Amino acid sequence: MKNVLAWIRRHVNLGYIAAVAVSIAAALLIDAVILLAAGHNPVAAYRELIVYPFSTAAHFGNMLEYAMVLCLCGLACVVGSRVGIFNVGGEGQLLLGGLVAAFVGSRMSGMSLWIVIPCAALAAMATGGLYAFIPGVLKVKLKVNEVITTIMLNSVAAFVCSFFATSVWKNTRFNEGIDVSEFRFATLIPGSKLSTAIIGSALITFFVWYILQKTSKGYEMRLIGDNPRFARFAGLKTDRIVIAAMVVSGMMCGLCGMFRVYGAEKAFISTRVSNEYYFEGLMVAMIAQYQPIPTIVISIIFAILKSGAMGMQSVGVTIQIYWVMQATVIFCMAAQSGVMTAIRKAGERRAAQRDVAARKEGGAAHE
Amino acid sequence: MNNSGPSFWTVASSTLHMMLSSATPVALAALGGLLTEHAGIMNIGMDGMILMGAFVAAAVAAAIGSAILGVLGAILFGIVVGLFFALFTVKLKSDEFIIGCALNTLALGLTGYFARAWFGVKGISSEAYFSKLAIPLVKDVPFVGNVFSGHSVFVYLTWLLVVVMWLFVYRTPTGFWIRAAGESPETLRTAGKNPERMKWIASILCGVFCGLAGAYLSLGNLNGTFVEGMSDSRGYIAFACVIFSAANPAKAYLAALMFGFFDALGGQLQGVIRSDLPFAYLTKAIPYVITVVMMVYVVVRAQRKRTRMAKQQFKNLG
Repeated sequence: MKNVLAWIRRHVNLGYIAAVAVSIAAALLIDAVILLAAGHNPVAAYRELIVYPFSTAAHFGNMLEYAMVLCLCGLACVVGSRVGIFNVGGEGQLLLGGLVAAFVGSRMSGMSLWIVIPCAALAAMATGGLYAFIPGVLKVKLKVNEVITTIMLNSVAAFVCSFFATSVWKNTRFNEGIDVSEFRFATLIPGSKLSTAIIGSALITFFVWYILQKTSKGYEMRLIGDNPRFARFAGLKTDRIVIAAMVVSGMMCGLCGMFRVYGAEKAFISTRVSNEYYFEGLMVAMIAQYQPIPTIVISIIFAILKSGAMGMQSVGVTIQIYWVMQATVIFCMAAQSGVMTAIRKAGERRAAQRDVAARKEGGAAHE
Repeated sequence: MNNSGPSFWTVASSTLHMMLSSATPVALAALGGLLTEHAGIMNIGMDGMILMGAFVAAAVAAAIGSAILGVLGAILFGIVVGLFFALFTVKLKSDEFIIGCALNTLALGLTGYFARAWFGVKGISSEAYFSKLAIPLVKDVPFVGNVFSGHSVFVYLTWLLVVVMWLFVYRTPTGFWIRAAGESPETLRTAGKNPERMKWIASILCGVFCGLAGAYLSLGNLNGTFVEGMSDSRGYIAFACVIFSAANPAKAYLAALMFGFFDALGGQLQGVIRSDLPFAYLTKAIPYVITVVMMVYVVVRAQRKRTRMAKQQFKNLG
């Protein structure tokens, strides 16, 4: 028993868990006020929030599918931020990856599923990786701010996807869409969007955690993120590692797009494949302080919140409340850590003053 | 010669007209963003500030029925948002990038949520808005009239504000202290001024300018309508303009004009290209591509300049 407690104390940051829990609770209180201000009943809404994700198997499956998306996107962000580069362009990489994957599938009609799915996955990864390579190289070689370039490239990608999905690559009678229902991941929970793609995501998640936390490559990456100059003088090829991290991040986003197309939607329709999902994953990574394991846990928590937010629609609350919830959690966490730092500093200052006062008194007594 | 289409001069003047109107919100936001940039805050949250400004302006104007009060509401709310932003980035010393992203998400969520909850599925559509002004005399000048007349008052106000901001940043003590707060906060502290205070001021003014930019979007540009997510990455483009211009108000306005030009060009190309394919999607992407290209160009040029100066110094030493 004692060993277990010691293990927990060593490996689990209880202070951080408490901070997240308090922040989520505080955020839900603030959101209750917002719900009241909009004329909704917070008690009824929050009951839906908790009940809905677990009310039916389909809701539960959809929740898990969304957790998978959040987790992949969040980890993609973590991989970049480990080496000090922020991939804000995951949305574009995800969309383009999904688009190209859907194109590949639509052109391989009649072939075996076992050939098409790997081809589509490779195509998605290549596309996402290439699209992340551009801002990565610009950042490393020319010191161009990657936040702006990736955000601009997001808009470009969205327009390009709309162009191809509504015209040359369209293969449905609908206005927009590339249908790939011929090949798809098997659905795990009937009636839900949860498919076997989650197994692939779990594998990727494990690899990312393993590489970041357990290998020397992961250690090198952390070194570059913490102190790039030191890393360079220590003989690391920092430029190459930073670009590689960005490309891997883009590949993960591209693959996530492919999972969305072949797993959940069975077609590429840009508004359905992703609706700012990467930004939601980015927020998860921020709350998780760019650590892999917390990213996984927090993506499940936020998937529950998102699914619950959909349930709240039955009492008239619109889905946008989910964005409000996510942002308020971040503000609460920031406020908390800021206040804690201030209190600690004030404490140190008081201690120092006491010290000075005591020394003065001691000096006076000596005389 | 093909005489069926509109003449070159008509197309050119309407392109330039569109350039001025679509540069205005970016320029207004950039005027705010350059203050936070000078004060040493990386402000990614401008997009959210613009969106909230657009919402508040439209909502107040719709509720009270006065466009002026709508703008006033957006300005007051901009002050609140600026205070909120400074509270986290200056007082609590949170990560600016995280707070900016969270602010954008919060704006997207709050405006969308309250627009539906308060105004129903139709969204906000205010009866009161700023109509386009036809400027006497100017409007009758052939080419010039088409370009410069017939804008909302915000477009002309922005010109004034560019001058005012240039004077403020480079010719007033407060402007000087704000610049010092970013460049060398310790020196400023030694001189008896509080750098944190300058950051607060910059942040509040940034909120005000972004609020104005938002008010222009809903009350000036779209005739009193609020559309969800209507800021459309303009906050980020404004941030890029701030970087292009090295936070100089006049240059920032030029950068915004350039964005406006390519935005207008994209809009015009839609009409020109006759095709079954939806090329409109691709032409809409033009300003964003140009922004990336400009970003690279500006950074590379600045680096070249630094290298040249370093070499010069080295030579002088030798």
